Amino acid sequence: MATETDTGFGQVSRVRGIAFKGISFAASVVGILALAVLLAYVFWDAFGLAEAGTTWYLAYTATLLVPLLGFVAYARTRPTVAAGAFELFGFTLAGGMLTFATIIVFLVIAGPQVWFTYFLTVLAPFLGLYLYGQYDREATWVGLGMLGALVVGPIVGTLALGILGTAAALLGAPGVYFLTLVLPGAGLAAFLAADQFGLSRRRAAAVGAVIPVVAIAGVPVVDQYPAVARSVWFVIVVMFAIPVGYALGNTASQRERWPAFALPVIVIGGFLLGEFVVGALGASQPEPWLDWQFLTAAPSRIAAQAGLYPAIIGSVFLIVLVALFTFVFGVGTALYLEEYAPSSGPLGTATRLINVNISNLAGVPSVVYGLLGLGIFVNIRVDVGPVVYAGLGAGTVLAGALTLSLLILPIVVISAQEAIRSVPDSLRQAAYGMGATRWQTIRSVVIPRSLPGILTGTILALGRAIGETAPLIMIAAADTRYSPPGGLFERLTAMPMQIYTWAFLPQDAFRYGVVAAGVVTLLIVLLSMNSVAILVRNKYQQEAY
Amino acid sequence: MTTEDMATEQDTTADDDGTDSLITTDPGKGGLDENADSGTVASAGTVIESRDLDVFYGETRALQDIALQIPENQVTAMIGPSGCGKSTFLRCINRMNDLIDICRVEGELTFSGKNVYDDDVDPVALRRRIGMVFQHPNPFPKSIYDNVAYGLRTQDKTDDMDEVIEESLKKAALWDEVKDRLDDSALDLSGGQQQRLCIARAIAVDPEVVLMDEPASALDPIATSQIEDLIEDLAEEYTVVIVTHNMQQAARISDKTAVFLTGGELVEFDDTDKIFENPESERVEDYITGKFG
Repeated sequence: MATETDTGFGQVSRVRGIAFKGISFAASVVGILALAVLLAYVFWDAFGLAEAGTTWYLAYTATLLVPLLGFVAYARTRPTVAAGAFELFGFTLAGGMLTFATIIVFLVIAGPQVWFTYFLTVLAPFLGLYLYGQYDREATWVGLGMLGALVVGPIVGTLALGILGTAAALLGAPGVYFLTLVLPGAGLAAFLAADQFGLSRRRAAAVGAVIPVVAIAGVPVVDQYPAVARSVWFVIVVMFAIPVGYALGNTASQRERWPAFALPVIVIGGFLLGEFVVGALGASQPEPWLDWQFLTAAPSRIAAQAGLYPAIIGSVFLIVLVALFTFVFGVGTALYLEEYAPSSGPLGTATRLINVNISNLAGVPSVVYGLLGLGIFVNIRVDVGPVVYAGLGAGTVLAGALTLSLLILPIVVISAQEAIRSVPDSLRQAAYGMGATRWQTIRSVVIPRSLPGILTGTILALGRAIGETAPLIMIAAADTRYSPPGGLFERLTAMPMQIYTWAFLPQDAFRYGVVAAGVVTLLIVLLSMNSVAILVRNKYQQEAY
Repeated sequence: MTTEDMATEQDTTADDDGTDSLITTDPGKGGLDENADSGTVASAGTVIESRDLDVFYGETRALQDIALQIPENQVTAMIGPSGCGKSTFLRCINRMNDLIDICRVEGELTFSGKNVYDDDVDPVALRRRIGMVFQHPNPFPKSIYDNVAYGLRTQDKTDDMDEVIEESLKKAALWDEVKDRLDDSALDLSGGQQQRLCIARAIAVDPEVVLMDEPASALDPIATSQIEDLIEDLAEEYTVVIVTHNMQQAARISDKTAVFLTGGELVEFDDTDKIFENPESERVEDYITGKFG
């Protein structure tokens, strides 16, 4: 009998590999657990889940959670269904965010008069030229015209603010938003119907006509609810209905995706059924701190009446400005450094030095940027002859936005540089080989290919800016404000500032309930922004190879 | 920036009055008269001529004293082992080497009688008259239509664009395969189709010369033979300069062949038949018969 050790191939030890696998698994579990505990903790307080009875939990488990898990189990092995469900969910989320952002930016911050003026002088010429460019592909002056609209438009708009603002006032706010949002939205819907779903011209036009018809037909219904103004209703019709309608249409047009419709049915049906069952059984319900009142009311000394509204508006105001500044300066810097800056010789050394500096700046603590903001935007006085620059005011919207922009600018630059570097050199060569100038190559090859990466990086960096507290404290932003900031030079408070203030109030109700509600609001905004970044990235990655 | 803009203007004016001059040059200086004296393979229609051309990458000398004349409306092949500088020479013709920081060119390389390395020559304007096809198919991630339209749009030649695009795709033997899906992404095409699309893109702007840098090396044999047929057709209208690794390919499609050997020297340049049947240099014979390389 031959010994077994002689005939075998022998054994190779895997002990280290298995140990390493175990350790890395444990590390990832710790991270996920920490996040789960944090979320559970704040959600528990924010939604007052302690008040809910066992019946409530059982009712919702049966009507909502179990069917949802069943759907997940079903979709897990069917990629088309999962993709359809993900698309429905993603577009609903994006539509919700878009509606929310539009209401805050166009209705609350800008107001109908300012919005109407800049719509007429900037957006309408820009979009009109873009559409003409799509229709007449041979007109090469269109691009220049669009750039002109972006540069000249704001100047004309600012000069004509008085006249056009009066015109907007005559039209009334609902009239303004009907003209500027509903009608272009109808055009967009008709275009999508024809372009994406291949409908005939007549049917596409019918799809487009649905939007203004629904908008007008809904007005008497909306008037029953004083909480929803007509303008808000118009925004909802356009900003929520178009993305959701697109996702629904896209799912409906692919037969193998039809089971994905089960997801909205389960969520909405399960929720309604749960409400009904809980009501019928008379189960004790949770008492959420985070409710409609919390989102729409100003802060108060009484915890039950406290709201986050001015801080939400302040945060969105900040984010819009920060997005504008960082996108323009960050992407501009990245394009220059990657495409124009010399890479050899003494100037190449300077370029490398700048790159290293930007990397270092990305690691500088935010409180240092706060100090910088305090120094150059608040506590400063420079006299150049008759011109006096005395800062932008303590804690104003503009000072806050510029400080936060400085904070995330290095991150935006670095991520944009990465995205630009990932454009294959063969495409640049192809463009140069066709006799394209450097600018033509950048515009037609480099920017389109790197835009998804640039957008993703910018959105993630904005997520960081929205959660920052230290720089805002340093530039003396308000702890608490009872009305939202109405202009660039008014003092603001932002969500993290307000939460920070609440956390130090003596009452327990503030320190636990209200703070948790604020944190959850902030988290929802942040996670939604991150999901939009992921959606953008996935969408374009599929298209680019 | 300003030089590029100026080039655009100059190029447009050149197109309008139909002259061939890259930049207004003195007809007495340079040009065809000199070719007859210096050329070893004197040909009436020489388009590109190099004299004492040296190329350096930093300290490394990639090409040494290259002198050759590329005839009009013929296929000229460049063969040789890897690293012999044949691609470098090709990239000198339309100054693609300018994009490499450490690359330095000395000597003279004339196109239509004008030294392309003169200070007053704009490389962008030059490249608009010399098309290029690369080793790996590199269509833009845009639609098929937009790919062919790219050069037309960058050069403001947008009159009758649909017709020009159809014509170019037909010349590139691709029209029948893509005519029903011009709006589809070019990346959905097969490798061979992508390469023919790149050829269509290059000839859409009606260049005088088409440079091809191993255009079939990344393709399968069937796609390769399609490209080869296409190159022979193209030579009726364009001057084609092709770099290839494949000696049989050079023998099949080219009229003239230049053999580069290691060290960046041009060992022999002659009619293709002569190079392959009766080369003068022993090294060339060794290379062609497969003794090395």
